Amino acid sequence: MKKLLPLLLLTIIVTGCQKEPDWGKLSNDLLVYTHYDEEVDFTKYNTFYIPDSILVLDNSKKEPVYISSNDIRAHSILEALTDEMTRCGYTQVYDRADADLGIITSYVKRTSTYVGYDYPYWWFDFYYYWPFDYWDPYYYDWYPYYPYPVTYSYTTGTIAVEMIALKDADTSSKMLPFVWTACMAGIESSNQINISNAIAGIYQAFEQSPYINAQ
Amino acid sequence: MKKITKILATGLLMLCLSATMTSHAQILKGGYFTVDWQFNAPVSNDYAPVASGWGMAFEGGYYIIPNMSLGLFISYHTNNKYIGEQVLHLSSTESLYTDQQHSIYQVPFGVASRWRFIKEGMFEPYIGVKLGAMYTRMESNTQVYTYYQDRWGFNVQPEIGMSLYPMPSSRTGIHLALYYSYSTNKSHVLTYNIDGYNNIGFRLGISF
Repeated sequence: MKKLLPLLLLTIIVTGCQKEPDWGKLSNDLLVYTHYDEEVDFTKYNTFYIPDSILVLDNSKKEPVYISSNDIRAHSILEALTDEMTRCGYTQVYDRADADLGIITSYVKRTSTYVGYDYPYWWFDFYYYWPFDYWDPYYYDWYPYYPYPVTYSYTTGTIAVEMIALKDADTSSKMLPFVWTACMAGIESSNQINISNAIAGIYQAFEQSPYINAQ
Repeated sequence: MKKITKILATGLLMLCLSATMTSHAQILKGGYFTVDWQFNAPVSNDYAPVASGWGMAFEGGYYIIPNMSLGLFISYHTNNKYIGEQVLHLSSTESLYTDQQHSIYQVPFGVASRWRFIKEGMFEPYIGVKLGAMYTRMESNTQVYTYYQDRWGFNVQPEIGMSLYPMPSSRTGIHLALYYSYSTNKSHVLTYNIDGYNNIGFRLGISF
């Protein structure tokens, strides 16, 4: 044992001596991740519907909490999303039955959570999510369909925006295709949504997704 | 953990120093030890090509014939580089916008051999070669996530160096060496690839 001690010490020293980078040099800006279905032609859609609230996800078993657009934070975020969709050539409609695309926005308030999809399996760490019958009562027992493999690790202070192709709802398989996902991490400061960061993240998400275009 | 590590490192260094200061003889007759600070510059990779002094090297050997030694070595080094905000196209359908702190951590270890030109003189110039394995961790640190990959490979390090013993009655001296290091590790993080690690650098420390 005594002979092993120096070796043990050396091992601890060597494996523990990685110099950490200068974290202060990293900006407080966002990390923006986007993913889309490359089989989808986004020009075939003309209209979109965006709910007037943001779902709060925090892993608790309590009832779902929504931040309504009466809140300045939710209002600013939803307005930025609406502006970007309009800029891309889509028309906002106020009856969800008329919409080709649905835009849902969630805010991961607390804890790290995980969503994974590897066809045909799908799982989600949250106790609740946007209900599918929100779009149509007929969809109450439907499932999401991600055309691309999904493995996201959501962390505290993330806004997730997902685009659902309501026009392509598959009645035979009871699936709603999710054709675009954007995650904006690092939008929280002092336990509050940093509005300017959130809006900058939304603009960046659309900027790096030039395929979202109605023309 | 880092505080404990630093305390342990300092303790080990002090132990080595005290052992050499209290004795005029070598710790191991016919043998040697070196403890060095290391300055390392990665070459031929764009991932973290910034030279740094964040490393140390440890070596011990025994002269199996008057001029040739065999021994063991281990060293570690970190090189970091800041990368500003940019969009990385992770695949044909995925994009990631972020700034990053790139980091490469290298830990080669294995067998060391030296050929000294002067035996037990005040100056002991030598040439040497080190052969062994190398562990690498290639990291991309962002504000939120750390993406990394650990890899192993074969490592070879030719080296020229010199030990200087200013006190005739003591075999405690100064050690200086220049080295080149190549290892076969292949790493991939986000959109970045490294196929083989090349480094040059020098080591400065104590020999006893």
